[in-house]
Amino acid sequence: MEALNNLMYGFSIALEPINLFYVFAGVFAGTVIGMLPGLGPISALALMIPLTFGMEPSSGLILMAGVYYGAIFGGSTSSILLNAPGVAGTVATSFDGYPMAKQGMAGKALAIAAYASFIGGTVSIIFLMMVAPLLGRVAVSFGPAEYFSLMVLGLTAVVSLSDKSLVKGLIAAVVGVMISIMGIDLQTGTERFTFGTVHLLDGIEFLVVALGIFALAEVFYMLLKGGGGKEQPRNAIGSLKLSKSEVKDIAAPIGRSSILGFFTGVLPGAGATIGSFLGYSMEKRLAKDGDTFGKGNIKGVAAPESANNAACTGSFVPLLTLGVPGSGSTAVLLGALLVMGVSPGPAMLVDRPDVFWGVVASMYLGNIFLLVLNLPLIPLIAKILDMPRPLLLSLILIFCMIGVYGMSFSVFDLLLLLGFGLLGLGMRLFGFPAAPLILALILGAIMEESMRRALQISGGDWSIFIDKPISMWLLIIAALSLMLPLVKQAIKLAKARS
Amino acid sequence: MTAKQHLTRFSAIVLPLAAVVGMSSAAQADEWTPTRNIEFIAPANPGGGWDTLVRTTSRVIQEEGLAERSFGAINVPGGGGAVAWAQIARDSGNPHKLFATSPPLILVPLAGASRYDHTDFTPIARLITDYSIVLVRNDSPYEDLPSLIEAMEQNPQLSVGGGSAPGSMDHISMAGLAAAAGLNASDVNYIPFSGGGEAMTSLMGGHVEAVITGAGEASGQLGENSQIRALGVSSPERLGGALAEVPTYQEQDIDYTFDIWRGVMGTPDMPAEAVAYYEDLFSQMLETDGWQQARDQLGWIDAYQDSEEFGAFLDEQKEQFSTILGDLGLLGE
Repeated sequence: MEALNNLMYGFSIALEPINLFYVFAGVFAGTVIGMLPGLGPISALALMIPLTFGMEPSSGLILMAGVYYGAIFGGSTSSILLNAPGVAGTVATSFDGYPMAKQGMAGKALAIAAYASFIGGTVSIIFLMMVAPLLGRVAVSFGPAEYFSLMVLGLTAVVSLSDKSLVKGLIAAVVGVMISIMGIDLQTGTERFTFGTVHLLDGIEFLVVALGIFALAEVFYMLLKGGGGKEQPRNAIGSLKLSKSEVKDIAAPIGRSSILGFFTGVLPGAGATIGSFLGYSMEKRLAKDGDTFGKGNIKGVAAPESANNAACTGSFVPLLTLGVPGSGSTAVLLGALLVMGVSPGPAMLVDRPDVFWGVVASMYLGNIFLLVLNLPLIPLIAKILDMPRPLLLSLILIFCMIGVYGMSFSVFDLLLLLGFGLLGLGMRLFGFPAAPLILALILGAIMEESMRRALQISGGDWSIFIDKPISMWLLIIAALSLMLPLVKQAIKLAKARS
Repeated sequence: MTAKQHLTRFSAIVLPLAAVVGMSSAAQADEWTPTRNIEFIAPANPGGGWDTLVRTTSRVIQEEGLAERSFGAINVPGGGGAVAWAQIARDSGNPHKLFATSPPLILVPLAGASRYDHTDFTPIARLITDYSIVLVRNDSPYEDLPSLIEAMEQNPQLSVGGGSAPGSMDHISMAGLAAAAGLNASDVNYIPFSGGGEAMTSLMGGHVEAVITGAGEASGQLGENSQIRALGVSSPERLGGALAEVPTYQEQDIDYTFDIWRGVMGTPDMPAEAVAYYEDLFSQMLETDGWQQARDQLGWIDAYQDSEEFGAFLDEQKEQFSTILGDLGLLGE
């Protein structure tokens, strides 16, 4: 009951006309920002800080939160249509979203993304509301040892993400780990794989790799295979409607991924990108038709999209209940709140309930706005695919380059983008899957840092990974998920023989 | 790269031109004034200490109508500042380019990770300072700093987390404290996290025994219902607000202070007239109500020094830091 009362109080704030306007403005700006590759939520949020000067803290946070989850919501569009992820959290969406678009089901993919995002967002707000104060404890229960084991579990997905050849998948994963550790090592200050240039001291930006390996490689591949302009435009938007059986198919994955995504988001440092990958690989393993993942399976769009939006909401838990930012975007939000004179933390729920409950209530509204805003736009946006091929390819190219240059203002990063495009093309031609590389790139650095931190705390004693119960269970699940396919196969073989 | 990977790297705001005429620094004919907008660089991603300083000062200068031209905040992240320094060092004599700075400008070059150090740039003014604070969990057995130090002596494995890499601010601050209390600087089992927030989360979860971080950053975490408490601050005198109850190191018979100062520097060989203009601008800014309000909200403490004092202070800091880094074996070539 108390939560309900609080929520009512929250709505009384969120429904004030000015705040209603901020919710709308925030999610609208967020969607647009999310759709453009490169311009991610963090730079958008930093840009908005001066706008919030002098605002009521609750209004300021309502606006900025709207931009943040709006960007994750909108980020799927370019992933699906162009294979060019708009934000890091939507990379996994392109695995099945882009094949769907190529098969003339762009409308359906976008609609599923919108529904899944909406449900993921809404489910996670309910969680945020009901259990946020308790979840503060969950967030801090993850120390270095637990993070390491979680990353190990995440990496076992390499097996399911390597479609044909496991060896090639593992090779791709190793390259991903190598890229992830480039730059200054946090533990010792040693430079690794920097080739003596300052541009690599901070490693390589994730989106440079993702845009190169997915979008640019796709452009190169089409140029190589297609011969520009000969193919007729595919008039390929297709219907937005989902059949009953399709709704039934994606309901469970959306539910599971929303919950998984939320808890991933709650952990500081994990966030939407890892959440979406975990959701995707979980559904791929659970699905009976798991082998069609990566070829345009609707569940492969639904799972990561619900997970990344849920994770985005989840990341507000450590911010609002502990005052600790769990991601780059929430770090900027924290800064903005401090400037507005609110210190998020355990005391905030008591001192400034208007900020906490106002924002929670505004998120319900924001997600409804996003759905209403996005669905009618789908046919318009998807028209981009009707463009003649040469134009479309040039457009993708320009998008990628603007996106990368806009992140760092660095010509060096443009060259890197080109390099990764060529790497992606080579991988495609020789049958190396790209997803394991991206997954390892996301998980590798955190995994290594956590492992070394844990060992430094334990004085080099490896038993820390088993002594901690959460860590032990994560490792056991990881081991099981690797063994299960083998056991299944063994049983099948045994049956076939007898 | 962790969460930083997902950070997009660029953002810039150009605050609209302050249309206020008749400022207190009513320019005389021979005085230098900026002829175009000023680039104010934060050598890091949005959200951190440098970035907050740049955005807050730009905003106050604009709102109070102190400058004829506007200040545009620009983020140039990379290499803990080294990328931005390398860029700025190439822009010798440019009077329209400033950057925010703090101890890493001395520490990073000493560790051998930047070709440029403070002597390559023109000091403008030191503005504020923050202090280090030592935190433990609420249920920790350590009641004061000496008891923590004693425990560290008996158990060299005792883990002390911090928000930055080895050899950077938090580590130096802790190592200096340990050395002043009679331990070896290198006996601290320092666990680096990628930010003070992450270090404090680890402390709350019981993954490390103690944490050292910035007092401003920690103040929001302390108080009633908090899971953590503070053992000491590195300031010469007690701080105000939420930290008024926290004793200094010196009160606990450890003769050591540590400043996390922040200031503004300009391009190499910036003309003296321009330096004088900015010195004056920032000292005026510190007097405004807008600044004092923002400063208190952010938990900063004014610590103004003009160009000359700041330069001398930086030289002193370099000497002090090289000693500690040498003891830690982290001095670069």
